[in-house]
Amino acid sequence: MARKVLEVNDLTIKFGGVTALNGVTIHVDEAEIAALIGPNGAGKTTIFNVVTGYYAPSSGNFLLDGKSLVGQRPHAIARQGLSRTFQNIRLFGDMTALENVSTAADGLNKSGLIGSLFGSPRSRRDEFNSRKKAESLLQFIGLEHRAGQLARNLPYGDQRRLEIARALALNPKVLLLDEPAAGFNPQEKSELGQLIRKIREVGHSILLIEHDMSLVMDVSDRVMVLDFGNKIADGKPREIQRDQRVIDAYLGVADHDS
Amino acid sequence: MKKILVLFNPRDRFGDWWDRATSLQRGMFRLVLIGLFFALPFINNPVIDTPETSFESVLFYPLVMFAIMAVGLNVVVGKSGILDLGYVAFFAIGAYTQAVFGIFTDLNFWLVLLLGMGFAMLAGILLGVPALRLRGDYLAIITLGFGEIVRIIAVNTEAIGGAAGLTGIPSPPPILGMEFSVQDLRPYYWLSLTILLLVLWGIVRLSHRKPGRAWEAIREDEDVAAFMGVQTFRYKLWAFVIGGAIGGAAGVIYASQILSIEPKMFELNLSIMILACVVFGGMGNIWGVIFGAVLLGYLPEKLRFLTDYRILIFGILMVVMMNLRPNGLIPRKKREVILEKI
Repeated sequence: MARKVLEVNDLTIKFGGVTALNGVTIHVDEAEIAALIGPNGAGKTTIFNVVTGYYAPSSGNFLLDGKSLVGQRPHAIARQGLSRTFQNIRLFGDMTALENVSTAADGLNKSGLIGSLFGSPRSRRDEFNSRKKAESLLQFIGLEHRAGQLARNLPYGDQRRLEIARALALNPKVLLLDEPAAGFNPQEKSELGQLIRKIREVGHSILLIEHDMSLVMDVSDRVMVLDFGNKIADGKPREIQRDQRVIDAYLGVADHDS
Repeated sequence: MKKILVLFNPRDRFGDWWDRATSLQRGMFRLVLIGLFFALPFINNPVIDTPETSFESVLFYPLVMFAIMAVGLNVVVGKSGILDLGYVAFFAIGAYTQAVFGIFTDLNFWLVLLLGMGFAMLAGILLGVPALRLRGDYLAIITLGFGEIVRIIAVNTEAIGGAAGLTGIPSPPPILGMEFSVQDLRPYYWLSLTILLLVLWGIVRLSHRKPGRAWEAIREDEDVAAFMGVQTFRYKLWAFVIGGAIGGAAGVIYASQILSIEPKMFELNLSIMILACVVFGGMGNIWGVIFGAVLLGYLPEKLRFLTDYRILIFGILMVVMMNLRPNGLIPRKKREVILEKI
């Protein structure tokens, strides 16, 4: 059995009287592309916000590589290898593409501000490494020709891909993708599918939130379905497509009384 | 039309030249520019001279003093996007350090300079640790309060002169045979210009490296910066501490020239003025900010011939300029390198 990289156990989070997640248990295996689907408001992005340390869960825990992340700050979680993209693009707009990626790459360097000020050997090495890493990631994602452009001036599709490159700069064990195909045409979607597979090949596990079912069914090894904060299904793409509860969640339930 | 304007954009022209320049050319350019600024007190040009105040004293205060403080405040406001309305507090702390230690002890001026910066940094930490947990407007109000608290403490502490302030603040010891005296303000100008250059050296270095990226990321989107591994709290605190140290240094030098200080000199007005320099010059662009500080310091002196209408005209000029260039005289927009896809 494959090793679980990311485990989320019995996670519950309440906002006032609303239970956004109700005892959800999910996991991502090593070298797996897992998908998280569900109707709008099912709690998919909330899971991302909890495991990346933005919201504190009401109960439950989550572990990366067997180590609990509960109670840690977002930057600390990111540095341990859990990074994400955003549903609505959130790049550092006034920074160049290269700077966007190297800012994230800096997170893995230990050198501090005093070292940077006086140019300590370690800070110089770190600067060099951040830059090299950012350049190679831009190349990996196919944006090397955009390195010197401001993120906000990039075309839409390039912005989405730049977000992925930025998240990869933290060497994530698990990469969380939040609707990466939103606004893409079929051609771009199929390129994205290839990119997601390529990311898995270089050693990252992936948890994908996506509404485009053909993409989800195409790239995922396993699909988990959320509805109203509950996990209602977990299985191979083909099984999910035939699961009655999933169909009900998406299409609504026929009135059984009549 | 727009294309022609781009073609003659002096900033791009200079930027292109700078990118292509050899290190020798860049070094020469810097040397000439710095030399020019050090020579300014000798240039008795009626066009730039200020008619009713001695030009040397205008060069020292407000021009260079404003420039130093604007560069310091720019780290906080322009780089990291933290609105600080109480920056004058750090200036006051520096000034009072020089006054108290200069009058009551015989510590060396340079030691007091470091001490003033140290106290200002400490104040930055004391203010930052609780305040930086908040954001935006709330944080701005706290910094506003901090600026007032420091001034009011000075008013109410008789040991440091109370509302009357302190007099008889000593001048710095002579450097290279130059005496610091009331008659000749040029040494003060040269001293403060040297400090400004040192500050610039440090800030430009930081801006191009990891801390600069962290600050910009925080300014662009603080939550996302944290998601991308940036230690947001630490870097915001650093911005406060560095901004504070620079303000403190300015305060020490200012007090050593002015001979007597009183709390009234450190009112909200000055915080707003420095903030105006930052915004007017171009938030986040260090050269723009210096330009803004120099212009906003210089104009009121140059306009002295208008007597009573001076500040009115100054205000109108600011309104007009901000309408013409809402992002400041030299905006922070980075120069982009656009490559064709191969």
